[in-house]
Amino acid sequence: MSNLTKLAEQMRQDWDRRVGHDYRFWMSDGYQDDAQMWATGERDFAIVSAQVPNGDDKSALEIGCGVGRMLRTAAKEFGRVVGLDVSQRAIHKARELIGPDSRIELVVGSGFDLQPVESNSIDFLWSYAALTSMPTKVIASYLLEMKRVIKPTGVIRLQVYFGQHMGVSENDTLHLRCYSHENFRRAVELSGMHVSASQELILPIPVSFKEHGVEAVIVTLQPKDCAPEDADAIAQALLPEGESDTTAENAPLDLEAWMTLRYAEELADAGEHRRARQALDYVVSNCRATTIDIRDIIERILAKTERASRTSVRPEPVCIKGDAILLEQNLGVIRERFPALHTRLVTRTGSSEEAIELRQTEQGAVLWRKGACLDHAEKPLSAADTWVSRSLREVRFENASGVVVIGFGLGYHLEKFLEKSSCPVSCIEPSIEALRTALSARDLRSVLSKIQQLHVGGPSEDFRIDPKIELVVRPQHLALDAKFVEGWKAALYGKRGMAALHPKIAVLGPIQGGTIPTGLYTNNALLRWGQRARRLDMSGFNSGFNLVDEFLSTDVRKGMMRNSYVEMLSQLVLESLTEKPIDILICMAQAPISPRVLTELRRRGVITVLWFVEDYLRFTYWRELAQFFDFIFTIQKGECLSAIKKAGAGEVHYLPTACDPYLHVPMNLTAEEREKWGSPISFVGAGYHNRQQMFASLAHYPFRIWGSEWPLCKPFDRLVQEESRRIAPEEYIKIFNATAVNLNLHSSMERDGVDPSGDFLNPRTFELASCGAFQLVDERVLLSEAFEVGSEIVTFKDLPELREKIDYYLAHPEEREVINRRARARVLKDHTYDKRLEEMLSIIYASKYEHLKTREDSSPWSTMEKRSENHPELKRRCQVAAARGEEPTLDALISDIVTGNGKLSETEQKLLFLFHVRKQIIRMTREEAGLKG
Amino acid sequence: MKKRHPHKSKILLVNITRLGDMLQATPTIAGMKAENPDCHITVLVEKQFKEVCSVIPNIDEVIGIDLGFTCRSIAREQDGIIDAFEYVTELVEDLRKQNFDYCLNMSSSAYTALLLNLIGITRNGGWTADEEGYRVIESEWARLFAASVFHQNRQFNSLNLVDIFRCSADVEEHPRKLLINVEPSAKEYCASLIREAGFTNKGPLIALQAGASQGKRQWDPQKFVQLAKILVNEHNARVVLTGSAKESHIIDPIVAGCASPNVVSCAGKTSVPQLAALVEQADVLVTGDTGTMHMAVAVDTPVVAMFLASAFGFETGPYSEGNIVLQPVIGCGPCNPNKSCARPDCHEQISPELMAHLTMARVAGEVLSVPVELADPRRVIVYRSCFDQRGFCDMTPINQVGGDAFARYRSAYRKLWLDDLGGYEVREGSKPEAQRSLRVVESPIDGLVEVAACAEKGQQLIKELVHLVKDTSSPAARLGTINKEISELDRHIEELGFHHGSLGPISRMFIFAKENLQGSDPLDLASQMERVYQDLERRCRKFERYYIDS
Repeated sequence: MSNLTKLAEQMRQDWDRRVGHDYRFWMSDGYQDDAQMWATGERDFAIVSAQVPNGDDKSALEIGCGVGRMLRTAAKEFGRVVGLDVSQRAIHKARELIGPDSRIELVVGSGFDLQPVESNSIDFLWSYAALTSMPTKVIASYLLEMKRVIKPTGVIRLQVYFGQHMGVSENDTLHLRCYSHENFRRAVELSGMHVSASQELILPIPVSFKEHGVEAVIVTLQPKDCAPEDADAIAQALLPEGESDTTAENAPLDLEAWMTLRYAEELADAGEHRRARQALDYVVSNCRATTIDIRDIIERILAKTERASRTSVRPEPVCIKGDAILLEQNLGVIRERFPALHTRLVTRTGSSEEAIELRQTEQGAVLWRKGACLDHAEKPLSAADTWVSRSLREVRFENASGVVVIGFGLGYHLEKFLEKSSCPVSCIEPSIEALRTALSARDLRSVLSKIQQLHVGGPSEDFRIDPKIELVVRPQHLALDAKFVEGWKAALYGKRGMAALHPKIAVLGPIQGGTIPTGLYTNNALLRWGQRARRLDMSGFNSGFNLVDEFLSTDVRKGMMRNSYVEMLSQLVLESLTEKPIDILICMAQAPISPRVLTELRRRGVITVLWFVEDYLRFTYWRELAQFFDFIFTIQKGECLSAIKKAGAGEVHYLPTACDPYLHVPMNLTAEEREKWGSPISFVGAGYHNRQQMFASLAHYPFRIWGSEWPLCKPFDRLVQEESRRIAPEEYIKIFNATAVNLNLHSSMERDGVDPSGDFLNPRTFELASCGAFQLVDERVLLSEAFEVGSEIVTFKDLPELREKIDYYLAHPEEREVINRRARARVLKDHTYDKRLEEMLSIIYASKYEHLKTREDSSPWSTMEKRSENHPELKRRCQVAAARGEEPTLDALISDIVTGNGKLSETEQKLLFLFHVRKQIIRMTREEAGLKG
Repeated sequence: MKKRHPHKSKILLVNITRLGDMLQATPTIAGMKAENPDCHITVLVEKQFKEVCSVIPNIDEVIGIDLGFTCRSIAREQDGIIDAFEYVTELVEDLRKQNFDYCLNMSSSAYTALLLNLIGITRNGGWTADEEGYRVIESEWARLFAASVFHQNRQFNSLNLVDIFRCSADVEEHPRKLLINVEPSAKEYCASLIREAGFTNKGPLIALQAGASQGKRQWDPQKFVQLAKILVNEHNARVVLTGSAKESHIIDPIVAGCASPNVVSCAGKTSVPQLAALVEQADVLVTGDTGTMHMAVAVDTPVVAMFLASAFGFETGPYSEGNIVLQPVIGCGPCNPNKSCARPDCHEQISPELMAHLTMARVAGEVLSVPVELADPRRVIVYRSCFDQRGFCDMTPINQVGGDAFARYRSAYRKLWLDDLGGYEVREGSKPEAQRSLRVVESPIDGLVEVAACAEKGQQLIKELVHLVKDTSSPAARLGTINKEISELDRHIEELGFHHGSLGPISRMFIFAKENLQGSDPLDLASQMERVYQDLERRCRKFERYYIDS
């Protein structure tokens, strides 16, 4: 049996089964009754056939007609309508529902061709919500058939999805297939047709595909006068990497089961109990993922349908107490193997908020915490067995170096993991109290002696994380300890991502302002982490941005032109990222990027990140932009995080700025440099209101002020240096080093002096410390989290204190030195850009690991590496070129081959051969063009 | 004739891309077969030219290389590059298995050179590459090929590339024409094409090849129209236009412009074998420098050929006896083949009337002269192709009365190379007083004395170098100085070749020789270098002698 026939047979079986269960649910979005189903059919046919010529003399064909939802409407507009579907049951149902209609022919199709429809016989062909669930090879075969049956003047309309392919396996007949625009167009061209139009389709379901980078469209195809290629070439064009042919069992998200369960719950909520039970029976009978979790849901839904406690699925709980002897025995093992944990267990202070209790079931005790059962409420042993078996079948465990389970429970599942897993098993438990209780409930000595690591609490240095271990989370903890789990995922997958992922990252800087160097430091740190990063430095466009002032005087016009300018720069960024695609875009605050470009990038699967290093109350553009970012990192906490999250950002995290330990360094300055840059007291920064107000009172000090936007009138005329020009980073580092006491007053446009509620820390705080330069910084809410105030850093809260401390520290250079050393040690340990970017990437990788892995595995270089298995040197070249961040071109593979630099390897010669062939053919083609021109 | 590789049994001939090149290789192929009838000759061509090879005699096997697929794969990038790489790998492996013992690559492309190094054939008669990717031309004749087609040097060459090509392959005995097989079925087909063309005239059948490989080499279509009208109206001729379907945009306007039943297009109606048959039917072929011209030579159809723009008759003229070549006299010609031309004034040097005259004269038989009023030698030189007594093709002007500034140099170089590379005795016309001393101390050729002096100095430096190498106590710094002097000397020689155009070929041959030193042993290299300088000095002497004798 050919592969195509096998796939068609799979489709037939699956759809026969689904139609047999509930044809309305599986074949339309109007499942309440047939009337609603026909109404949706009429609605959708109007969309798909808009402006297509119709008439009694015209014929139409639907691929995947199901139960004929759209055919009745089609038959009103076309003289002959053919409905074709692979499912016999669907066609049988269609005949029953439609009844005799001479205009409609219903055909059980082969599943991959349009026989017995004659060639060049159809005026209008459509497929709606059908092709999108078919295997790619089947779609390719249908494209060829469409070309065969459509008349030269005919029109084809297909509902498809554009976006990142979601790794759907070949035999999956339900998951949506997405293709890139370019691949789809190419496949259509190879089929002997062309895409003449493409229109966004707004789907009548409450799911935003766009959030996932998927676009639903109706494409119009028309035949061309050329012969098509074969189906294999078309399939390859659609999806170059092909679909996996592995029949993965029990995928974590068994779509069919979950869809049916959700449907069942809706039916139960709507009072349709019989149908709800039918749906549940369908899941139990047909879906492979009969997991304990699903069983819980099934039981919950059943409970809803029964409505009475006498049919309640749960028995009355029987609470039991722990056994001191068991506890002692178990603690004995822990004392030997995990002494630090033992200490914590025996000295812990319990929390009544945990509401921990043991209950008895037929299969043994179970642990409850905060009202949730941490094992299975009735059958902990069999539930554990099923869960562990299912988990270990996941593909990700094939090459894992270890399993880490979050959630100890009463250890049933750990026993099973230890029994069934070939790699070491560790456990992380959120609650010390829960663990202690567990140790009193069962004899866990066997588990405790075999388990590799046992840890209670969040990520710490004590728990060794190997990038190749796999994390598995007890479902109960997903709800109970969401943040805890998130933290561990970040720790594990972040580390793994740093080791295993090589996404291409672009750092987009602003046109102007103090954040420009932050973009540089960010990029540098990424490069130091071995990431494939590049910086999009937009500062060169600053002069253009400011030149607007020379041409216009009206603010409205200036604003309009500046917006246009920024939009142009945004487009420039998009074009640059089209030429050299990336996986992650990190935008610094005020980077020139528009919502439109961000949307397009996300549609391409790019992860968008904003490092919002500004005061969220003063700069409020995040309100409009937040929704376009997958991640926003802020330098403030509390309300800032919640406000930005509420504005639509994907994830929001606190991440303060930092120092660059390679640039912000102590320097040995020459006497001339000290003369030029030095002073007993200095300040570097813009002349914000509070600074002007406060520093005016320091005019009698030996004080130099550097930076822009300072007035030059008294008393600043003798303080402000170099006519208030902007100071470059390499200059202010010298100023820091040459100054005895650097003042660091955070800016405020409204308040005088020190802002009593000022929270975030400016970069200068870290940069000064990294330079080993002494600073007096105003009190900030978040300062004590970053430094030990008084020991590592000195603060002031008002002008009198500032004066006092200036005097003191000018007179005590040795104390300044001590503080400087401590401050520098602290920032180098905790506050470098390397640290920040590690944290940022860990968060991103934890959340987007699979997405990035899929992109990487399907990236052209990955494909090329796989194809090069038989050519080791070529493979190595691909790896090296990819690591350099090059695009997958021939030029990238030969860029480091130099003639006359020693013997060329055979691979190098072959690559040079290809290079010269291409050059020669291009030259000959140009000659030929000259011939015609 | 001196032979480098006298016995060859499994031969690979690399001639990748053009019909004309393939035809021009036929005397060489025939010669190799004549020398060793048991030898196996394989030709490596671009896939689409495999069809051409079916009409080439003496070829035992044809291997097609699919450059189109390779380029399309590369253009796809990503895994297309892997496809192309795997294709090349397979090709190399297949060629290695053939165990060729000799290769002749007259394609000067870098990729063929790399390919041959990959295959690993040890004896080569043309271009290849070494393991570091440098171009290697072992054969002196192949170097002469490269030196002659070097743009600045072309006008000084009178040796047809067919002869240089065959000498690279050590072929001495060879047919004095190009060769092609014409199938009877092709003949029948073309005969029926002519029969059914609907001609009303009964006169000679004149084939016109209007297209050419480069736009600037195509004579103005309007001139073809005028020519055709003269032939049809004044000479009762039947005119058939040849060419491929791709050339229809050139040919259709000519047919339309003539508006005559006696001017018919067969463009796109013939395969390559059939084109040969069609040209065979014609009484004369009027053409530019095209593959069709070579085809006509191979089927013994008389040719009247215009060598316009970058075409140069001495290089690629009809390899035959008695055919006519027109070479415009214009300061910019022959021009660089890699450059386009917005206004090819050289086309104006040749009138339709002249072409018509020559065509009809060729129909009648031998053309030994042409009226100057039709062919002003200040505007165009009309040549007649011929062979010298050594079997090398040449061209004799039939309208020129002096005036060709390069003629004397060409003659001198011709003798130089035949003598120095071929070992032929070239004594005719040599004047007794031309027996010069070993040193050139004055010369009618600008710059020659200086080049000769450089050659002499080079030999001295080499001697000193050898001495330093052998004497282990000699300071290393002096070795460095000598090497530097040698480099500067070589550069100077090259610059002299640019500065004094007539010395270009000698200088270029010297450069090629220097580029192709083999091995790494210092003394061996020194010995090779010494020979190179000796060759240069000797050639300066000979060149001067032959120039004076001319």
